[in-house]
Amino acid sequence: QRRLHILQSTNSLPATTAMAMDLDEPLAAEKGEVALQQLRRADPSVYLSPSADLAAAARAALKHFHSSLAVVSPVQPPPLPNLLAGPNFDAEQIWSQSELLSRPLLPHLHRQLRRLEHQPPAQPLATPPPSKPSEAVEGPSDEEEDGEGDESEEEDEGGLEDTDDELESEEGEDEETEELGAKKGNGVEDRFLKMKDLEKFMEEGEEQEYGGGSKGGEKKKASVNLMEDDSDEEDVDEDDGGDDEDDDLDLEDFESDDEEGVGKSGGDIRYEDFFEESSKQQVKKRNGFTKKVHFKDELHEMEVDDIEKDDVNDGPALEDEQGLSTHEKGLLKMRNQIDLMEKASLEPSKWIMQGEVDASRRPKNSALEVDLDFEHNVRPAPVITEEVTASLEEMIKKRIAEGHFDDVEKPSTLPYKVPKQQKEMDENKSKKGLAEQYEDEFKEKTGIAPATLAISDELKNEANDLFKRICLKLDALSHFHFAPKPVIEDMSIQVNIPALAMEEVAPVAVSDAAMLAPEEVFEGKGDIKEDVELTQAERKRRRANKKRRYAESHKERPAKLRKENSSNI
Amino acid sequence: MLRRNTRLRREYLYRKSLEGKERQHYEKKRRVREALEEGKPIPTELRNEELALRREIDLDDQDRAVPRSIIDDEYAGATLREPKILLTTSRNPSAPLTQFVKELKVVFPNSQRMNRGGQVISEIVESCRSHEITDLILVHEHRGQPDGLIVCHLPLGPTAYFGLLNVVTRHDIKDRKAMGKMSEAYPHLILDNFTTKTGERTANIMKHLFPVPKPESKRLITFANRDDYISFRHHIYEKHGGPKSIDLKEVGPRFELRLYQIKRGTVDQSEAQNEFVLRPYMNTAKKQKSLGV
Repeated sequence: QRRLHILQSTNSLPATTAMAMDLDEPLAAEKGEVALQQLRRADPSVYLSPSADLAAAARAALKHFHSSLAVVSPVQPPPLPNLLAGPNFDAEQIWSQSELLSRPLLPHLHRQLRRLEHQPPAQPLATPPPSKPSEAVEGPSDEEEDGEGDESEEEDEGGLEDTDDELESEEGEDEETEELGAKKGNGVEDRFLKMKDLEKFMEEGEEQEYGGGSKGGEKKKASVNLMEDDSDEEDVDEDDGGDDEDDDLDLEDFESDDEEGVGKSGGDIRYEDFFEESSKQQVKKRNGFTKKVHFKDELHEMEVDDIEKDDVNDGPALEDEQGLSTHEKGLLKMRNQIDLMEKASLEPSKWIMQGEVDASRRPKNSALEVDLDFEHNVRPAPVITEEVTASLEEMIKKRIAEGHFDDVEKPSTLPYKVPKQQKEMDENKSKKGLAEQYEDEFKEKTGIAPATLAISDELKNEANDLFKRICLKLDALSHFHFAPKPVIEDMSIQVNIPALAMEEVAPVAVSDAAMLAPEEVFEGKGDIKEDVELTQAERKRRRANKKRRYAESHKERPAKLRKENSSNI
Repeated sequence: MLRRNTRLRREYLYRKSLEGKERQHYEKKRRVREALEEGKPIPTELRNEELALRREIDLDDQDRAVPRSIIDDEYAGATLREPKILLTTSRNPSAPLTQFVKELKVVFPNSQRMNRGGQVISEIVESCRSHEITDLILVHEHRGQPDGLIVCHLPLGPTAYFGLLNVVTRHDIKDRKAMGKMSEAYPHLILDNFTTKTGERTANIMKHLFPVPKPESKRLITFANRDDYISFRHHIYEKHGGPKSIDLKEVGPRFELRLYQIKRGTVDQSEAQNEFVLRPYMNTAKKQKSLGV
């Protein structure tokens, strides 16, 4: 706004100066410088109010800027080589002109700045980094030296530190080699690794492989470098070379390199060209933590950038942690995991995984903490709910209503022993005389007469008699139809002795009829024969009968033996 | 005393050995009897022995008709005498356990409670035998909750081991006054769903803890087997006249019993044979119903 302000105020800029500026470059440059100085020296308060001098100075300065930038612009020839900043031109117009030039230039310059940040200069800077336009001015001079396009310019601008040795200017190289020579020893050397020895070995190897003129070194690096070289030389603004870096390791590349060269002959290619990165990396490391981060960003940038191919070979080649690709990082992680798992398998496993474990084999109370899961084969204990109680009570009520209890039963009243016979004392005078009683006892003792029934109850007998009499009468009612005469058991002793032996009290008429009948004396059938009198047949018959009777009575005998007997017969 | 015991034991073993033969004999008689009753021809294998069997059948009276298993021989004479029970606990009982045992004393008629003190089990059993006690009941606990019941029938009797669950004592119920006094008449018994042999054996053991009640007694004790868990309930019932209404009032403790062992000997005979042992860790434990349907 201030600028606008200033510009607007200037109306009285002489036309001559404008013309002069167009034609005479060095003069204009001088004037521009002067104008700049003037602007700088002016008091800030002066800027508050419009002044013609300042306005003129501003325009001159702007013209100078524009012309100097026009040289550096990426698009050549620039669309507007000189700023038309005459007094007639509005602030707006001048602004748009400068923007036309500066707009494409800005990102370019941003990149250069960033590169400067990342790569601090190896050489001590003789002069403080000049302002961009002045650098741009110096740029063309270097360009001519290297005979390259804008890239070398960038590199110079970006700083004197380059990852790619071949693209550097020889001046830089010389200085760097001196520096690196000092630093190499510190960073890389060990008691095992001596740089000089390594160099010697490498040279020998190279001589063997390729004959004189060391070209070798790390193939990868070489190819990468070579590819870049090619691309650089062929296409200034294209990004093909950068992408092909790792894929093609053809000898063609080596040859091409050999032919075209980078501005050096074959034999001038040195270890430093390939291996300088290691020392540089060390240097970078020393400069602080931030470098690592920046380096990664650079890698990203590389993919995006068309022009920058310098940092490509750094990434995959180096074995630092910073330098791993995503794939390699993943591999490393997996490796770590695998190591962990292997360690775990080698150790004795936790007690949970050990099958049957006693209390002695596991730590105290550890079974309480673990969530053990096993099938419970037992039915769970019943929970007494309302429903359960209700169902029980229902069943109970039903039983009460039926009167069906499971009480202990009273024992059965079957006598275990025969009840003792209680003899009633008969108060009446006994009918039998004393002598008769003694007779009865004697008979019992001697066994002539069987003992009478113990239970000889007179009442019972009387009742029996009466009952039989009644039955007889009833049968008479039915005309004695198939009614046998009831047997009135009258126990009287029939002794087979002649009546004369009896006592006088016997009845008047004595007869044999009261005595035992012959069949009562003797039981048997037909002709009783002694064994002597028997015929053969009769003897056989007797034997057969006997056997039959025997067989019947001994039926427990096993069937086999019985059969044998029968078969024998 | 010792000789008598040994003689009894020998008799017992002899009868056990005879049991098989007797049972066969009984079976034969039964078959013949059935055939005769139904008018069917007698089975051919019994033809030879048929006559002898028939005579025996005629001589059989009611008592001998059913074969007596020696298993329940211990209770053969039980019905003649009233049961006499001694209740005691494990050593150093807690207060809730002593309360529970007091309640049980009221539940079982003809029972006595004894402090355990430091007595050994064999001592207790000997003294019980000498005092003609028929049953000894031990109650065990876990942290105040009664959790075990051992019923031992005394002269050589079987021992049943129960676990107690879901115990609700009369002391727990706050409103005790409302329950009123408990009748001390001999109670009626209900034993529900004891269908297997083990079930019937258990039922027998529990039945003979109680004496013969009067028919009009209003007190009722229930042992209901549901799923191998025996529920003990104690009620007093009232039958109001006409409309078949029965009032049940629960009285006394309620608990679930779980039978886990029946031994053929007394408590102190640890080497006695097991009639029944609970096996809860078998794979088919869920399916087994050892006491009833």
